[in-house]
Order: sequence, then structure tokens, then C-alpha cells
Amino acid sequence: MTELRVRPAHPQLKQLVTEASRALATLDADRLEELALSCQALNRDLNRDLYRDPGPAGAAARGALAQQAREAAGDMAVFAHVLDATRANLRVLRRLRELREGHFEYGGAEWTGSRHGHD
Amino acid sequence: MGTISSALSIMTGALDNDQAALNVVANNVANANTPGYTQEVPDWQQNAPIDINGVLVGQGATETGATSQRDRVLNERLDQQQQLASASGTRLTALNTVQSLFTPDSGSSSSTAGDIGSDITSFFDSFSSLEANPTDNALRQDVLATASTLAGDVSNAAASLNGQRSSLDQEAAGVATQVNSLTSALAQLNLEIQSASPNGDAGTLEDQRQQDLSQLSQLIGINQITTENNGLSITTTSGQLLVSEGQSFQLTTGLVNGVTNFFAGGTNITSQLESGGGELGGYLTARDQDIPSVLNSLDQLAYSVSTQVNALNNSGTDLAGDNGNAGDIFLEPAQVAGSATAMSVVMTNPDNIAAASLGADTGDNTNAVAMANLANQTIVNGETPSNYYSNFITALGSTVQQVQTENTAQTASVTQLQTQSNALSSVNLNDEASSLTVFERSYQAASQVFTILNTTMASALNLGEQATVS
Repeated sequence: MTELRVRPAHPQLKQLVTEASRALATLDADRLEELALSCQALNRDLNRDLYRDPGPAGAAARGALAQQAREAAGDMAVFAHVLDATRANLRVLRRLRELREGHFEYGGAEWTGSRHGHD
Repeated sequence: MGTISSALSIMTGALDNDQAALNVVANNVANANTPGYTQEVPDWQQNAPIDINGVLVGQGATETGATSQRDRVLNERLDQQQQLASASGTRLTALNTVQSLFTPDSGSSSSTAGDIGSDITSFFDSFSSLEANPTDNALRQDVLATASTLAGDVSNAAASLNGQRSSLDQEAAGVATQVNSLTSALAQLNLEIQSASPNGDAGTLEDQRQQDLSQLSQLIGINQITTENNGLSITTTSGQLLVSEGQSFQLTTGLVNGVTNFFAGGTNITSQLESGGGELGGYLTARDQDIPSVLNSLDQLAYSVSTQVNALNNSGTDLAGDNGNAGDIFLEPAQVAGSATAMSVVMTNPDNIAAASLGADTGDNTNAVAMANLANQTIVNGETPSNYYSNFITALGSTVQQVQTENTAQTASVTQLQTQSNALSSVNLNDEASSLTVFERSYQAASQVFTILNTTMASALNLGEQATVS
């Protein structure tokens, strides 16, 4: 617990967010998965140690983390935008995948699904 | 008999087909480094089976040509995102130039805005100094000197902004010329594609058309409409026709109130182009929204300070004993618009500063106190001059930040789509399915990162506030 407070090496939130945006822009899935694990670990540590420390050192560390959060707010907005764009891009690509798998025909004229009715 | 002949025919066909397929692969490899080249795969067509004694026997397949692995949907999405990124990038460049005008380090002696915030403080402080000794000539000189610095920096900033607006105007007009050149080329390509390959992929001609479309998307916001026989029509995002298959429609320009306006078929479409995207959208947004907004803020500041200071000076007594007729310190603006550009000091004799109140002895300082107090009065759109300027700078910074955020995200989106487009279209060994899997993994992991960080930051801010309070 003490180690966490003394150690200055909480990854800076700003760096984490910037790195996540960069990795998402370049579709670096491996790096993003590493970052997700890092964030889970960070959150777990904070919940276990920092947030529960009632002493003045804990308060100071929480204040420092709040400062980091404020500094990272702009980069978080960028990350949110990139995530939004990625969601839209993924939707387009999934749609393309469906088209290629033959669910639809280009031009929309031909329906290749099962026929209904009495034939 | 027939069976052996058929079998030989199928085998011969297979060898021919393999050779044709190898030619396609060789073509791909040869063009691996050709910009815009799209990978081709051989097309196979099943030959009609023949009936031998009532049994249908297959006749193999024939290689019928090559199809490029492009995808118009993906390319359109890429083009759309490119239009947005291009617009925000162009606007951001213009906004950064505007913001640099108001960066104090730029220096007030150059053609930049200097430090208008400090100028405002110094000007009103000079009246505070004059209060102590209202007849002191050096202090009176200092009032005029600080007034000159303030007026000079404000008018320099306005002049720089007007100059930048003119440059943007010229850039925008130049974009229209490039757009016209590209739409003409695209119309010609449409004709060639429709003539050469009305029912299939036109290979390199389509590559060329896609490259031209990408270039056009950098310049202007467009919609693409696929037409019969592999044709393409292009409109602006607001629907004005630029290309209809083999025919192109030119954008024309003309001056309206001194700025370049854009016309399609006689209709003024400037405002539509402004919100349409591409470089042109970015230039027009900066020219018609951002810079006028900044100029208007400066005009408000210059108008209010000039008129209020002049009014007070004309309501006191100057060193020569003139009552209520001491004259203006600043050039009196007739209206808000243009006040910043015209801001200047017209008073040359420091004795004309009316430090004393009306009818009072020339040693009185009442009016100097009143003028110093203008610094704390809400004389500019309901704010003190310093607060007004400070809020204006903050708002400008916020706009720059917002556009920066948009541009970063849009550029990231373009990068993603280019990665996908390259995986699909270019000559490499990546498999489309695995590309999509990577895309999905990236999105899912990023979503997790975002959710966790969002929670962490919210908790950090909340607990940090509590820690500060306690």
C-alpha cells in the first residue's frame, strides 16, 4: 500500500489515454489489449489502496491523481472521438463483410435469400 | 471418345487458365509499388456442360479476365472521412495562425497583436498614476504612450486578421480551379470506363478514377452516385451536380462584397460549401466564421474603450482649463464594425487630458480617477475590458482545442480506413478476414480501456475534490 503511494510510477493518465488513441488509430490490437489489462490493474490498485487510505498521504495522492485526470481530460475527448469514428468504420466493414458473403447483391436488385409463398 | 476429347479439352483449358492466372499475379507483383494500383484476381467462368448420352459432363472453367479487389463502399467511407479531416486540418492551420497573433511572446513591436491584455492594464494604470499628480507632464505623456501601444496592437491584430482573411480567400478560389480540373478528368474517365467496361471492372481506369476521387475529396465535400454501365455521378454534399457520367459542371467564382463567392449553375453555393468539408470547407469556415468572429470581438473592445474614454475626457477639465471640450484621446469610432482596424490615438498634446472634473481646478484628479475606474467597470458587452479580452482569448483557445480534437480523431479514422483499404486493395498478403478480426479486437479492447479510464478519472476527480475540501 505504502509502495503504491511512494512510487511515482502510476502511469500518467494523460500518457495512457494518448497511447490508447494512437494504438486505436493504427489498429494495434495487441497494444490495446495490453493497455486494457494495465488499466484493469491500475483500477484494482487504486480501489484497493489509494481510495481507501484515510491518511494525509492518501489524500495527497488522490489530489495528485485528480490533477492528472484534469490534465488528461482533453486527450480523453480525443480518445472518445476516435472510438466513435472506429465504431462507425467497423459498422461499414461489417456491412461489407455481409455483402461479400453474399447476403446482399451490389445494386440491391437481387435477393438471394429463401423464397416465401407458394411456388 | 467424346469423353477423352472432353477430358483433354478440360485439361488444356486448365493449363491456359493457370497461365492466365499467373499473368494476373505477375501483373500484381509488377505493380506492387504503383501508387493507387489495385490488386486484381482472376475471374473464372464455368463452361456450359455438354450432354453425352443423356449425361451432363462438365466442361471446366475459362479465365475471363481480372477484377480489382476494390470496394466502392469502403472507398466512399474513406473519401468522406478524408473530406472531414481535410476540412478540420485546413481550419486548424488557419486558427493556429490566428491564435499566434495573440500570443504575447510574439512581441508587440512586430505586426502581431503583441500583448493586448497587458496593454489594457497598462493604459488604465497610467490614469491611476496620474491621479497622484494630475499636472505632471511625464505622467500625462505616459497616458498617451500606453494609449498608443494599446491602439497600435489592436489595429495591428485587426490588420493581420484582414490580411489572413484575404489569403484564405485566394486559397479558396484556387481550390475551385483544382476542383474543376479534377471533375473534367473524372467525366472523361467515366466515358472511357463506360465505353471499355460497362459491365465489369475497368482495372487501371478505375484505379485512376478512385485516385481522382480521393484528390477531389481532399478539396471539397462530395457525394458519389453509381450510375448505369459502371458510370459515376458526383455532387457536392449539398447536392449540386459536379459530374454526371461523361459531363462535368464547373464551379465559377465571383466577388460579392469583396470576397470570393462560389457558384454552381448560377446559384451561389458558398455557404453550402462552407459546411461541406474538404479544404474548401475549411478555408471558407475560417474566412467567413472564425476570423470575422475574432474581428468582431476586437471591434467590440476597441469601440467600447475608445468611446468610453473619449466620453469621460470630454466631460472633464484639461490642463488648459477647457471645460467639457478637451477633445478625444482615441479616434472616435462611428460604429462597432471596423473599430479595431481604425483604433488610433488622435490626441497629440498631453495637456488635453482632462484629469480634473468639470469646472474644477486643473490640479483636481476626479476625472483621472473616473478614467482609471473604467478598468473595473463592465463597459465591454457587460464585462470589464480585461475580463472581456481574457474571455475572448479563452474562447479562441477552446475553439482551437475543439478543432484539434476533431482533426486528430478524423485523421485517426482515415488511418484506420486506409489500413483496411490497403489490406483489401493493395498487393500484399494480408487476409481480409483477419484484418476485420484485428479491427474488432482493437475496438473491443479500446472500449474496455475507455470504460475503465473513464471510471478511474471520474473517481479520481470526485475523490480529489473531497480530499481538497477536507
